[in-house]
Amino acid sequence: MNLHIIRVIIGREYLNKVRKKSFLVITFLVPVLFAAVTLLPALIMRFAKEERKTVAVVDRSGVVMPCLQDNELAAYSDASVTGADSLKFSLVSSDSDVLLVITPIETSSLPGDGASSDALPGAALFDVKAETYSPKPIGADLQASMEAQIRQAVRQQRIASYDIDHLDAIIGSVQSDVTIKAYTIDADGKERVSESTVYMLVSMLLGMLVYLFITLFSGGVMSSVIEEKASRVVEVLVSSVKATELMFGKIIGVALVALTQFFLWMVLTAVLLTASVGILGKDALSAGDLAAPAGMDVRSLPSMPASDVLPSEVTDLIATLSSMPWGEIILCFLLFFLFGYLLYASLFAAIGSAVENEADTQQLQIPVTIPLLLGFFIAIAAYKVPDSPLVFWGSMIPFTSPIVMLARLPFGVPLWEILLSIGLLVLTFLLCAWMSARIYKVGILMFGRKSSFRDLWKWLRMR
Amino acid sequence: MNLISCQHISKRFGEKVALDDVSVEIPAGTIFGLLGPNGAGKTTLIRTINRIVVQDAGQVLFDGRPITREDVARIGYLPEERGLYRKMQVGEQAMYLAQLKGMSAADASAQLKKWFDKFGIASWWNKKVEELSKGMAQKVQFITTVVHRPSLLILDEPFSGFDPVNAQLIRNEILALKEQGATILLSTHNMESVEQLCDNIALINRSHVVISGGVDEIRRRYGSHQLQLTYSLTASREASEAAQASEAVPASGTEGLKDCPGVFELVSDEPAEGADGVAVSSGPAPLRRAVLRPLADNASVLRALLDGGVNVVSFSETVARMNDIFIKLVKE
Repeated sequence: MNLHIIRVIIGREYLNKVRKKSFLVITFLVPVLFAAVTLLPALIMRFAKEERKTVAVVDRSGVVMPCLQDNELAAYSDASVTGADSLKFSLVSSDSDVLLVITPIETSSLPGDGASSDALPGAALFDVKAETYSPKPIGADLQASMEAQIRQAVRQQRIASYDIDHLDAIIGSVQSDVTIKAYTIDADGKERVSESTVYMLVSMLLGMLVYLFITLFSGGVMSSVIEEKASRVVEVLVSSVKATELMFGKIIGVALVALTQFFLWMVLTAVLLTASVGILGKDALSAGDLAAPAGMDVRSLPSMPASDVLPSEVTDLIATLSSMPWGEIILCFLLFFLFGYLLYASLFAAIGSAVENEADTQQLQIPVTIPLLLGFFIAIAAYKVPDSPLVFWGSMIPFTSPIVMLARLPFGVPLWEILLSIGLLVLTFLLCAWMSARIYKVGILMFGRKSSFRDLWKWLRMR
Repeated sequence: MNLISCQHISKRFGEKVALDDVSVEIPAGTIFGLLGPNGAGKTTLIRTINRIVVQDAGQVLFDGRPITREDVARIGYLPEERGLYRKMQVGEQAMYLAQLKGMSAADASAQLKKWFDKFGIASWWNKKVEELSKGMAQKVQFITTVVHRPSLLILDEPFSGFDPVNAQLIRNEILALKEQGATILLSTHNMESVEQLCDNIALINRSHVVISGGVDEIRRRYGSHQLQLTYSLTASREASEAAQASEAVPASGTEGLKDCPGVFELVSDEPAEGADGVAVSSGPAPLRRAVLRPLADNASVLRALLDGGVNVVSFSETVARMNDIFIKLVKE
């Protein structure tokens, strides 16, 4: 092995890939997108409040209107005198944006068998139906807010109908809100808060990230091999350097590209997050926005006693995140990514050497992509049963282990398992690299034919 | 001294025998032609010398000792299937290929600039290869083949893809490199350039060396040695008289030539016609063209003709063309 030459090969591969527009775009766009996905819901909630609507209410039940309170979404005005039908005709020209019609109270007997209905005094159930009419469709937030307030009105009505003193308070006091607060303890009996949702998210994220990285960059090695073969530049190259030097120079070059991208992402994401927190103020990431990223404003639902629970949830989340062994996770990520990538890149290099264009790789790729996908699917399911035999073996068998092991990592993996898994991975890599190099050496000079597995096998045994 | 000596090289790919006991000697400082029909094993032999493929048996000597990886840096190889990275810039790519041959960046840069200026393509340095025409890319590739001052140049069909002007440029460069002491292995189907450039050749057919040696010697050996004669029909009166007096009568004035025992045999004798079929005449006398097979040396034949009163216009030896030898040997 000529180190100077390998350095030249690595350098070309690296610079060629790093200077590509696609690399720059992906490197700088992904952190921006990531930050956007994290922060955008909060930002949207913050700035995208709708203009307050005026709602004309025709309340035929007589119980709902008193409960409707003006909030930032809507101002309610009683229009029961005018009547629904005439308002419908004049709605477009009137000041109101929305017409809300509440039907008269319907009383029905309680569902259930005869025996239990006797048990309840005043066994009648009040209900109303509500409809809205508006020239433009109403937003989900406004609808949710109106529904919540009408439900609250009906609830009060029902409670009152039982005619029991302090029933409201009684119901409030019997409702319990038990959640499990999970701790993990290590051998020393030291406790750590562990929020399983957080573990799930981190586990899936790691599994997906390493899967994406391996697929992306080992695929890059294959394209690069095919490019050299298709453009026939390979014959000049192998007349200057050994085919194996060329192959490993390429694989290492692309690995360096991957590491560069990874570190740029970490740095950029950190910078962007810090910057946006600084600009928006800390409360942009506060409880309500984080807990309801889907766009539901928790605090507008009065039935949910939100303000008490969320801060402690956030504390737990932060506690869980900070109690994770991040140093170990990052180190393992790099190691498993690196060797997983090396393993798959050498296999993909061998496949690339057998074809002259990307379209012909389909068939040859299958045995390599199947274990990769298998690893991915085991990994994203690993959070449910992190200690099951399937996940355990998935994290040991070298072809799936880089992905599955990372998904297991947040749940804590004994050191010996990590070491054994890495050891097996490295051995498999060495074996596959040796086989791939033999195939590659012959394959890159085979032109004008569609190669099959039989050919690869033949090349493998060739001197 | 042979720069390259291939000794009893055999190579098979699976069932297919590519080379079978092939021995070739390439003297240092000469141009060596490697000939043979498609699929004969030329490329395999070239790749064996390049150490791209490893032979099953036999050995390649470089400068008298078994060739090693390090010697490959002293070889420049222009494969028949040309190829450069399409998306890479010309200069950067040439730098890369030069450095793979062990040149330092500074040396590579200086030498490449020199060659680019010489070929008048300095302005292409920052262009991408895909922007170049095929001929332009060929020029770049030729430069990348020779920039590291190789002792052995392996050129596979070096003139293909070039227009006549550029082909001449490349031809002159090849000769100049030979002047500077490089040894050149030229593989081509263009027999005219073999005749013009090569000192020695080897012809490979069906994995075997069919013939090897000096070009002139082979042309003489394998071509049927013949003489071409153009003469004017109307002999002078004095010549006719002299001819009647002479014992050796090769020709009679108006009837054409006859065999001359012990000196030559007549192969053909017909009126000389131009390409358009019109009889070529020089002055009043019609010309005739004859082909003779000499039985004595050329001087004796000419003397016999002159003594016989033949009005000789031109007299030349025709050496067999490589093209004919190639076809003859490959068909056998």
